[in-house]
Amino acid sequence: MTVVGRSWNRLTVPGKLIFAGLPILLVMTVGLIVAVILLGGPVLDVLSDNVPILRFVVAITAILLITIPTAFLIIYMEMKIIALMNLRIGPDRVGPGGSLLSVVHGLKVLMKEDFTPTGADPIVFTWAPVVTYLAAVMTLLVIPFAPGFFGQDLNIGLLYFFAIGGLSVVGLLMAGWSSYNKYSLLGGLRAAAQVISYEIPLTLSVVGVILLAGTLSLNQIVLNQGGWFSNWYVFQQPLGFLIFFIAATAEANRTPFDLTEADSEIVAGFATEYSGMRFGFFFFAEYVNVFIISALTVTLFMGGWNAPFPWPWDITLALDPGQLGVMLLILVAVVPLILTVAFAAPLWMISARIKGWQALLGGFVLANLFVVAVIGAVAYVGLDWVAGLLWFLGKTYAFVFLFVWMRGTLPRVRIDQLMDFAWKWLLPVSLLNLFVTAAAIVIVDSVKS
Amino acid sequence: MPIEPAHQSADDPRVTLDRELGVFEPVPPYPPRTEREAEFYTLGDGEMFINMGPQHPSTHGVLRVVLKLDGEKVVDLDPVLGYLHRGVEKLCENADYHQAICYTDPLEYVSSLFNEWAPVLAFEKLMDVQVPRRAEYIRVLSSELNRIASHALFLGWMALDLGGLTPILWSFIERDEIVDMLASLTGQRMLFNYFRIGGVNGDLNHDFMSRLGDWMSRATVQIESGNALLNENEIFVRRMRGLGTIDTATALRMVMTGPNLRATGVPFDIRRAHPYSVFPELEFDIPTRSEGDCLARYLLRMDEIKQSLRIIDQCLHNMPDGPVMAKLPRLMRPRPGRAYAAVEGPRGQYSTYAISDGTDQPFRMRIHDPSFIHLQSVGLMMPGHLIADTMAIMASLDPIMGGVDK
Repeated sequence: MTVVGRSWNRLTVPGKLIFAGLPILLVMTVGLIVAVILLGGPVLDVLSDNVPILRFVVAITAILLITIPTAFLIIYMEMKIIALMNLRIGPDRVGPGGSLLSVVHGLKVLMKEDFTPTGADPIVFTWAPVVTYLAAVMTLLVIPFAPGFFGQDLNIGLLYFFAIGGLSVVGLLMAGWSSYNKYSLLGGLRAAAQVISYEIPLTLSVVGVILLAGTLSLNQIVLNQGGWFSNWYVFQQPLGFLIFFIAATAEANRTPFDLTEADSEIVAGFATEYSGMRFGFFFFAEYVNVFIISALTVTLFMGGWNAPFPWPWDITLALDPGQLGVMLLILVAVVPLILTVAFAAPLWMISARIKGWQALLGGFVLANLFVVAVIGAVAYVGLDWVAGLLWFLGKTYAFVFLFVWMRGTLPRVRIDQLMDFAWKWLLPVSLLNLFVTAAAIVIVDSVKS
Repeated sequence: MPIEPAHQSADDPRVTLDRELGVFEPVPPYPPRTEREAEFYTLGDGEMFINMGPQHPSTHGVLRVVLKLDGEKVVDLDPVLGYLHRGVEKLCENADYHQAICYTDPLEYVSSLFNEWAPVLAFEKLMDVQVPRRAEYIRVLSSELNRIASHALFLGWMALDLGGLTPILWSFIERDEIVDMLASLTGQRMLFNYFRIGGVNGDLNHDFMSRLGDWMSRATVQIESGNALLNENEIFVRRMRGLGTIDTATALRMVMTGPNLRATGVPFDIRRAHPYSVFPELEFDIPTRSEGDCLARYLLRMDEIKQSLRIIDQCLHNMPDGPVMAKLPRLMRPRPGRAYAAVEGPRGQYSTYAISDGTDQPFRMRIHDPSFIHLQSVGLMMPGHLIADTMAIMASLDPIMGGVDK
């Protein structure tokens, strides 16, 4: 038996399917590109007739792909920020400032042995991480990143979000049950109890927003919050925002509610028996979840991709590089040189110790930064989605930082305190919030009419 | 399903199994030896065993606890000791008096100086040695530093067992500075082996003194900032308050000493109750608390750090001149007799009982270790609490497995 044959035999059934499917997908993609180039019109016509399907496929692919850098970035943020809070240095070897360490982690996880413990249920054991990961990723489909930048603008977007997000607990329970390990079982059951309990205040806390917005579509909710930052729902629903934030933390199993993988109590909870990429999927799902709950908090309460202030100037940039003709070529050749020298000159003059080539190098870097800044500013002003994406990501990563900060600071609560908090505090308070909101809406409407 | 060996090629990594493995089966392979064992290893309705340790992340070393659980609630538990047993007492009986001291170092490896001090005191009593005053002051100074290092480590582990990531790294900064300065004094970072019969190994040196002065100038602020992270943390306080409560009578019955006893309200401190060394000359308070729960044990240790700083300050001001080692024969043969000495360590009473038969080796040597004694009471504290609390209770008692297993 050859090495290839042996490796093939060791693959699990889904592994075999993926390995068989990948080349087919690749051939299909390349074939499509070749067909568009060679045939042109007819193929493009077929594609344009089926824009919804095309949009769906592109959105799914983009969302699957975007999770990877997102998770890497958040893992790196967590490693570095917690290190700084712990007065450590943190990762500093791989890449600038250790920024590639999470990529190396990902590769390491891929290369590790993927085994199933004796006595585990192999099918459930294999599918548990997939369920958890997909439940996390699929919720990204309805989140509006920027004007026009969303997978699908569902009119039941929020409902879809909670429905799919709630599926992740199934994956955790599957993992806990199928591992044939009592620590895993405890972790899985904790996950079930915790996530289902916190689902209720989580959902009730956003009902206030739904009442105010009058829609379940996340895109519409964001549009309603446009204009000045005082329109954001956090100012009309401060209590709802707090409840939502706490419940979402529990929902994503983050400190101080990370009981499902409490390493000092039940080793690693549901992930105890997992290794290799199956563990990697759980790991990824956790960090994607952090991004998602931050994104949803921003979308519902912090104005989504709206800037905190309306853009005061109505600037329309009408740049057509074609008008310049030959001048364009000359500009492309001359402007970088001029900029480099212009930025190098003050560097060279500022100190006698800076050598000529160092000044030129610094000038080159500064010139590049300047050009990037100018292009960025132009894009921010000229393109809606650039501004929206910048604001959305900025706010979202501020919340991600908050989650990381909490992880660095807080100890873990106990399971009975967790349950008490959900049922005795969050649930009544969220009901009160809902009641007050509904009453306020009725009163305001009756006063207006 | 077992794979037939005939179909299994030589390079197949799968192992043939003739029986189901993988799930922890705590019942010993022998029939139960005592009634207690028979009772414990019989499962009631809806109960299950879970095996904590010896490889568990937070059992403070290689302690194994078999927990009988009802859901998450601990019904009963059976600690299994001995994974780190080295037979230190027997080793000491086969070494001469000087060599015996270095065997006691790794008992409780985070507070080595106290482990040395008890046998050194006992041997000095056997031999009627007069220790120079400077040596006594150096002993007090270095051991109080070691007490702070040990308590700092306790703070970190306590928080880590409750899920806090940061305090352990902050307290390790404290511990590292102290351990570094002790290393410049004694030559080692962990197992110092510094105390000798009749004095200490070396005089104070410039490196140690400069490090100590540097650290003392900011110690209070650093420790306060580390404590503030936990003392004012609602989650931490709520989890610790009323947890693992033990009353004074029970604590005395379980022979608790040190901070764990003082947290129940008994102001018993060997430094005051049975003074040794130069402690009668030093001013310090014995902090006590009356609650007897995990929070009291934690706060009490934090108070002790402040008292230790006071003692160090006084030692530095009153440090006399003179030799650091008494003049003694190289080979020591004490008269036949027995001696007992106890010191107040960061965990409680460290004591040594040594019998001499006139040769250069102790005839018998018995070491009393507080970790072992305190670990007995987990059976009283843990049942009825949740799994998460077992770790907190264990951490609040602060056992070190090196000392438990000896």
